[in-house]
Amino acid sequence: MEKSLSDYIALSKNIDDLKYDKKLKVAILSSFTLNGLSETLHVKCSDLGIRYQSYLGGYNQYNQELLNSKSKLYNFSPDVTFLLIDIRNFFGNSFHSAHNISNDERKFLAKEKINELENLIHTFENNSKSKLVMTTLDVPSYSPSGIIETKLEFGFHEMIEEINNSLRQMSKTHPSLYVYDFRQFISKFGEKNIFDYRQFHLGDIQIAFNFIPYLANDLMSYIKPMFGTNRKCIVLDLDNTLWGGIVGEDGFDGIELGDTPNGKAFVEFQKELLSLWNQGIILAINSKNNFDDAMKVISEHPNMILREKNFANIQINWDDKAINIKKIADEINIGLNSIVFFDDDKINRERIKQEFPEVLTVDLSDDPSQFSPILKELNDFHVLQRTDEDKKRGEIYSQQRERSKFEKSISNIDDFLKNLDIQVNIKKSNDFLIPRISQLTLKTNQFNLTTKRYQEEEIRSLSNNKKFSVGCAQVLDKFGDNGITGVFIIDKSEKFWAIDTFLLSCRIMGRGVENAILSQILKDAKANGVDEVKANFIPTQKNKPAENFLSDYGFEKRENFWIYKLNNEIKTPKHLKVETE
Amino acid sequence: MKLDDVNTIVAKVFSIDESEITDKSSPETIESWDSFNGLVLVDELETHFKIKFSISEITNVKNVADIKQHLKNHNVS
Repeated sequence: MEKSLSDYIALSKNIDDLKYDKKLKVAILSSFTLNGLSETLHVKCSDLGIRYQSYLGGYNQYNQELLNSKSKLYNFSPDVTFLLIDIRNFFGNSFHSAHNISNDERKFLAKEKINELENLIHTFENNSKSKLVMTTLDVPSYSPSGIIETKLEFGFHEMIEEINNSLRQMSKTHPSLYVYDFRQFISKFGEKNIFDYRQFHLGDIQIAFNFIPYLANDLMSYIKPMFGTNRKCIVLDLDNTLWGGIVGEDGFDGIELGDTPNGKAFVEFQKELLSLWNQGIILAINSKNNFDDAMKVISEHPNMILREKNFANIQINWDDKAINIKKIADEINIGLNSIVFFDDDKINRERIKQEFPEVLTVDLSDDPSQFSPILKELNDFHVLQRTDEDKKRGEIYSQQRERSKFEKSISNIDDFLKNLDIQVNIKKSNDFLIPRISQLTLKTNQFNLTTKRYQEEEIRSLSNNKKFSVGCAQVLDKFGDNGITGVFIIDKSEKFWAIDTFLLSCRIMGRGVENAILSQILKDAKANGVDEVKANFIPTQKNKPAENFLSDYGFEKRENFWIYKLNNEIKTPKHLKVETE
Repeated sequence: MKLDDVNTIVAKVFSIDESEITDKSSPETIESWDSFNGLVLVDELETHFKIKFSISEITNVKNVADIKQHLKNHNVS
C-alpha cells in the first residue's frame, strides 16, 4: 500500500538530508501541474540514504528551459531530468482540431512535432550531462471518429503513436535518453482513475493526487541503479513459496506444482523468476528441509521450472534462516543490501527483517496467485544498461561453483593459481565498454581504492579527455570468461601520474589480477617518461580488502598519499598472462 | 467517519496543530492553505468520507464551516 500524497508532503518537511553521503540532483519539467511529485521523490530518496536536491521548472516552461543554454535548469546541473509532457498542452489547439484535419495535415503535424522533440533532446544533450527521462505521449481512449479511428489512413491516435515511436528510436541512439512509457502507467491504474476532470479544470492537474506516489515509484526505477542500490539476488524459500505444501510431509507426489489452480500459480511465479534470472538476477535457496527431499523435487519434478543450475547458492538445512542468508551473501560475495528475500512464513520474514534490515524482505500474501504480481511490482531490479556481464551472470556463477570445487581439490594456493590459466586483457575505454566501466565504479565497494562513483556520462567525458586514461581488464581462466572485472582511471595532467580510481570486482579478488593490472599501469608510466605514480586509499566501511594493497606492492607513504618511484623494479605476477591492446 | 474528523484532516494537510482550527479558519488565517494544498485537502476529504465534491462545491469553499456544510449536504453527520 502506498502512502497518500499529503503524507509524503508532510514527511518531506522533516528530512535531515545532510547526513547522507550519496547526492542526487533531480530536475522535473512538466507541461502540466505536477506539485507533490518532487516531495514524494524526496522522501523515497531519503529512504535509500540519498540526499535529494531538486529543481522544478515553471509550469509548461519546458521548451524555454531546454532551449536556453543559460536557463536555470542548466545552471542547476542536474544528474537526472524528468520531462513529463501531456498531449493537451503539447498539441495546444491541435489537440481537439487534429481529428478534423486531413490525413496529410496530420502527417505534417507529426513531422513538425517530432522535429520539435528532436531539437529539445539535442539541445539538452549539448548543454547537460544529465540523464533525460522523457514520457511518451498518452493516446486517448476516446476518438470522435469512434470505432473507425483505426481505419483512418493516418488518424490522430496513429499520429501520436508515430511520435512515440520516433521517441523510442531516439532513445536507442542517445545513451542518456530514457523513454518512460506513460501509457503503461495509465494502463496499470486506469485512465478513469488517473485523469480527474475536476482536478484538470481546477488547476491543470493531469495526474490525480493519489497516483503521484505511484508515478514517483516508477521514476525511482531510474534513480536506484544510478547509485547501485538496485537488487541483484533473490533468495527463495521452497515449501509454499516455490511449490505448494511441504515436501517433507506431503512427499514428492503430494506437493502442489502445476496441475491445480494453486499449483499453476507456483509455476507462474517460477517462470517470472526464470525470466529475471535470464536478465542477470541471481537466484539462491534458503530453506528448512531435508536436503535430499528438496533436491529431488528440484531435479526431478516434471513441473519444476527452476533447476539446480539456476541457483548460484543452495542452503537447504535446519539452520537459522538468518545464518543461511548471511552465508549466501558471503559465498556469492554480494552485499546483504543486494538481496531480496521471499518466504511464505511470516515468522521467518520477521527474523530476517530484524536481523538484516538491509535485506528487502517481501511481504508475501497467503495466496500464491499473488506471488507473481508482487514480484513484478518490485522496482528494484532495474539497470540503466544491460552489459554482457549482466546477461552472462547465471553462467558466470555456475563457473564459479566449478572453480571452488577445483580450489578444494588442490591444497596449495600457488598450484591452484598456476593451474587456473588466468589471462588478463587490459583494454582502453570505448563506447561498448563505457556502460560496464561506469557500472563497476557504481557498485564495487570492497576492492576499491577511492570508491569514486561515475555515471556513464562522466566516464564518457573522462574517456575523451586526453589528460586521463580510462581502462579496464577482462579476466579469463580455464573455466570461462569472467568478463570485464577491473577498472582504472589515471590522471595524467601533472608530471607524475595519479591513480584516480582502481577497483576489482570481488569475484576475482585474490588471484594476483590486481597486481598484474597495477604493474601494467606502472610500466606504461615508465615508458612515458614519468618518475613517480601517486595513489590514494580512501577508507570506507567496506573497502578493507584493498587497505594494504598499495603498501604490499611497494608503494611508500608520503604525507597523505602513496608513491611508487619508477626507478624501482616493477614486479609482475608470473602465474598469469597479460595482454594489452 | 464523522463530521468532527474534518479538523483532524485539515490540520494534517496544512501541517498545523488541530487546536488552531476553528470553523472560521480559512486561506486568510492558515498560511499553508494555498490553492494546491486546498486541492490536496479535497482529495483527503473525499477519500476519508468516500464522497465526491462537484467543481462548484470545491470553488465555493471559503472556510472550514463551508467544508462542513458541503459534507452535511453529502449526508455526513
